[in-house]
Amino acid sequence: MKKIFAIYDYLLIILVLTLVSLGVMFIYSSSINSEGISVTNEYFKQIVWGIIGLVIMLLIPLYDYRKTEHFSPVLYAGLIILLIYTRIAGRYVNGAKSWIGVGDLGIQPSEFGKIFYILFLAKILNETENINPFKRFLIATGVMILPMGLILIQPDMGTASVYLPIFLVMCFMAGIPIRYIMYVLSFGMATIVFAILPVWNQEIAEKPLAVISILTNSKLRIILTSAVIVITLLGYIIKRYLHGPKYIYWITYVFSILSLGLLCSIVLGKVLKDYQIMRLIIFMNPNKDPLGSGWNIIQSKVAIGAGGFVGQGYLMGTQSHYRFLPQQSTDFIFSILSEEFGFLGGLIVFSLYFAILLKILYVIRKCSNKYGVYICSGIFALLSFHFFINVGMVMGIMPITGIPLPFLSYGGSSLLTAMTCMGFLMNINYRKSELK
Amino acid sequence: MSNNIDRLNKVAKIFILLIIVSACFFIYIYKLFSMQIIQGEHYRSQSQRISSQISTISAQRGEIFDRNANLPMVINTDSFAVEVTPGEIPSDRYDTVMLKLSKYLGISKAEIDKKIPANIRRSYSSVQVKSNVSFNVISNIAENKTDLPGVSWVSKPIRNYLHTGSLSHIVGYVGDINKDEMTVLYNQGYTKNSIVGKTGIEKQYDSLLQGIPGRELSTVDVHGRIISDTPIVEPPQMGKSLVLTIDSDIQKLVEDALGNRVGASVVLKPATGEILAMVSYPYYDSNIFNSDDAAVEYNKLLNDTTKPLLNRAVQVSYPPASTFKIIMSAAMLQENAFPANKKIECKGKMSYGGRIFHCHVHEPGHGWLDLKNAMAQSCDVYYWTVGRDSLGIEKISSYAREFGFGKSAQIDLPSQVTGLVPTAEWKEKKYHEKWMGGDTMSCSIGQGYMEATPLQLANMVAMVSNEGVIYKPHLLKEVRDPASNEIIDEVKPTVLTASTIDKDVWKQIQEAMRYTVTDGTPQYPMHNKIVQIACKTGTAEVDGYKDSWHSWLVAYAPYDAPPEERVCVATVVEACNKWEWWAPYCTNIIIQGIFAHQTCEEATKELGFTYLTQNRGRQE
Repeated sequence: MKKIFAIYDYLLIILVLTLVSLGVMFIYSSSINSEGISVTNEYFKQIVWGIIGLVIMLLIPLYDYRKTEHFSPVLYAGLIILLIYTRIAGRYVNGAKSWIGVGDLGIQPSEFGKIFYILFLAKILNETENINPFKRFLIATGVMILPMGLILIQPDMGTASVYLPIFLVMCFMAGIPIRYIMYVLSFGMATIVFAILPVWNQEIAEKPLAVISILTNSKLRIILTSAVIVITLLGYIIKRYLHGPKYIYWITYVFSILSLGLLCSIVLGKVLKDYQIMRLIIFMNPNKDPLGSGWNIIQSKVAIGAGGFVGQGYLMGTQSHYRFLPQQSTDFIFSILSEEFGFLGGLIVFSLYFAILLKILYVIRKCSNKYGVYICSGIFALLSFHFFINVGMVMGIMPITGIPLPFLSYGGSSLLTAMTCMGFLMNINYRKSELK
Repeated sequence: MSNNIDRLNKVAKIFILLIIVSACFFIYIYKLFSMQIIQGEHYRSQSQRISSQISTISAQRGEIFDRNANLPMVINTDSFAVEVTPGEIPSDRYDTVMLKLSKYLGISKAEIDKKIPANIRRSYSSVQVKSNVSFNVISNIAENKTDLPGVSWVSKPIRNYLHTGSLSHIVGYVGDINKDEMTVLYNQGYTKNSIVGKTGIEKQYDSLLQGIPGRELSTVDVHGRIISDTPIVEPPQMGKSLVLTIDSDIQKLVEDALGNRVGASVVLKPATGEILAMVSYPYYDSNIFNSDDAAVEYNKLLNDTTKPLLNRAVQVSYPPASTFKIIMSAAMLQENAFPANKKIECKGKMSYGGRIFHCHVHEPGHGWLDLKNAMAQSCDVYYWTVGRDSLGIEKISSYAREFGFGKSAQIDLPSQVTGLVPTAEWKEKKYHEKWMGGDTMSCSIGQGYMEATPLQLANMVAMVSNEGVIYKPHLLKEVRDPASNEIIDEVKPTVLTASTIDKDVWKQIQEAMRYTVTDGTPQYPMHNKIVQIACKTGTAEVDGYKDSWHSWLVAYAPYDAPPEERVCVATVVEACNKWEWWAPYCTNIIIQGIFAHQTCEEATKELGFTYLTQNRGRQE
């Protein structure tokens, strides 16, 4: 009996439950309209999800996480099959075919699938430790690209983007050379930048830059792309066959990123409609489209700003209750919290998150099993990325991607995913000193 | 050794992650601090202002046309609604302002207070205090605007139903959105001031009719004075125009032919499923829901014993009675259960299970009959025998379902019933009783537990006319753009049910239905010189009525034309009316009117039925 109590980390449980309770409080607040009537029962559903999540969180540490290493390929395969099925037979939610299920009981495979992805990637990184780092890196990239690509074509860019930082942090901790990791990171950034630059130039920039026309004019773009590719190939040949100096390697490195970015941005530009790109970058200047895509950001910023130091008081926020805020129970939950609890409330949420992240780093530090270390790294990336993107979005310094705030946002899939992660964290924490 | 380096690396890596995360947290805290504390005042004043910055411009609801699409049947008439934004009224003047306003509007102050409870007196969202306000009252308020801070008005067009009468069941009516609807429609662009369709087409196609409200963004100071001179306007988009399959002339013809008899009649085009007319008597006036005492009127309708809110064509199922003999005959022929030319003797009665069953012609009965004559004379003994000895309930109910009985006809109306096709299992479940041979006999003549709506019976005839296919009945023909009148969407015929019955069976049924007109019981009421009719009568016994019955007539015409040119009619006249066997007369008048392009009066005269209607007329 004594042993069972030792499994759990009570401080962590308290931190998580505090966040979930805050979430329920503000989901309730978001359901109140200006007449003081509650128009949805989302808060009640969230309580139910929270209880289910708590049970899961407490059950997971009972089962040694190291045993999951054997069947993580099955989980990963299941995820891939589910994602393909969702693509074919899923339901549309907010324009993406990302849900399966009936009525309110739908699930979002891409959401909880992150856990399977983390487990499988951890296993792969653990097993390939002794092979050629480049090969190891390629295998790991494949593990990322498969689910990420399937989610991208839903199309749900927000959820898909989470798979990248998880990959980066886990590879980083697994000792994959930094230049490989930087390569993926720069390639991703280049693709996005090349895809949004034309729209940015046209819609956001105060003074359109003539330079951008090399991206919008198809002839110029083809010339640019081929030039960059030629330089890359030349660099490769010189380095490989003529044994050129070291800096040739880095020129090839940079130009291959550019050429890949240019090529992939064409694909991305095809997948994303102009208005979707517009939504991604409107945060740079929301006043360009105050009634359309800029509306959410303007309203959210006003709500947060109006909160002041101590907030307007629970259920008293004017912005949210007059329904100026859209999707306030999911993506914009932090704006309501900031409007009603002010800077103090924001600081409390920040501290709770910071404490959880510190705890994860502590477990990574203490854990002597590599598989456990990699899982914790994935969880660390998942939580911090969600947190910074979501909070940044409502404060108007990050793009609108529809990524929820773990523990606080309304939604079963997101809450259960986050609480399952915490279950794994406690699991690893309890067995941190056991090597095998 | 290598383990040591690894260990060192790990701590360094953790340290790097910690630095990155801490830096991000620091930036975010600084950003939050700067937004809430440093610029807080700016945002707070903006939030005060923004509350009154946005006003919506409501969109005009789409208009509704009949199939000829020239004159609308439903339009919007100008009217105003007065709104109050409580937050804009200085709290010390609140009561005087409301008292003044109540005098202008001619309502009591208590009524306004009910709409603006004390807990929302700080609110900056407007509350609608009264709708249906005339232009005169608005101009009075406008002149005294300075005395009435926080009071505003919006144009809120009234839904004006130009064709009252029987169209009400089809078109339906609109009303203010209620709390339940709000919960369902929340997040679909509806607001608490939305007008939504409550029944009929208005409800079914509400999202098409709604249109998209416009928005006006103007910067105003705390006193409600507009600061910027050019507000950003997003103009509203009017709802789509709906063109129905209904033909107003035929609708009127059917309405008059049925007169003030409780019942229903459906006219449809079998080749497409388009409903040309659908009348259910009694009906109501959709316009009463516009008045301020709509609730009183609604309660009156609700408590009326004749149930005028009920669309009897789709929401009430009746025993199909002898019209069911069409399905019985088709089943018998398809199954080769009994030869069509073999005769059965009707002695006016037959006994089974210790009970005597009487045919509608008592002793000595119809004599020896084959299928054709049994159908024309509607002989019960013939179908009792065939149903009990040759088919059995399982086959009967399976064929009934093949004709669309017992399942939704899927017409585009928000509410319809499915009727009932009984089976032995069903009876055991419902009544805990065994299925008896006598039950099969009752079902064989469309009595017992068998029930269907007038629309389903019209579909049954359509199946005969189309020789095996029922097209999904529908009321919407086209969706048009309100400005350009261009067709955006068109409803194409889709198959509702297809049957596997052989072609020659359909021919025999069609011949028997035609023979019923030329040589059968409804020979006189169904005689017609303009067009060849094929039909089947039905007379359903109803509990509580001794000398009167539900009177049915289902028909299609012309018999000698291809299915594309035909119409199907199903009429029921309930037993609660004075007995005059009106369904056949009514149907014949409708068919005469459609094909001779005559009004009800002209058609009645042409058919020589005027003497029947002289002492009735319409009593409204």
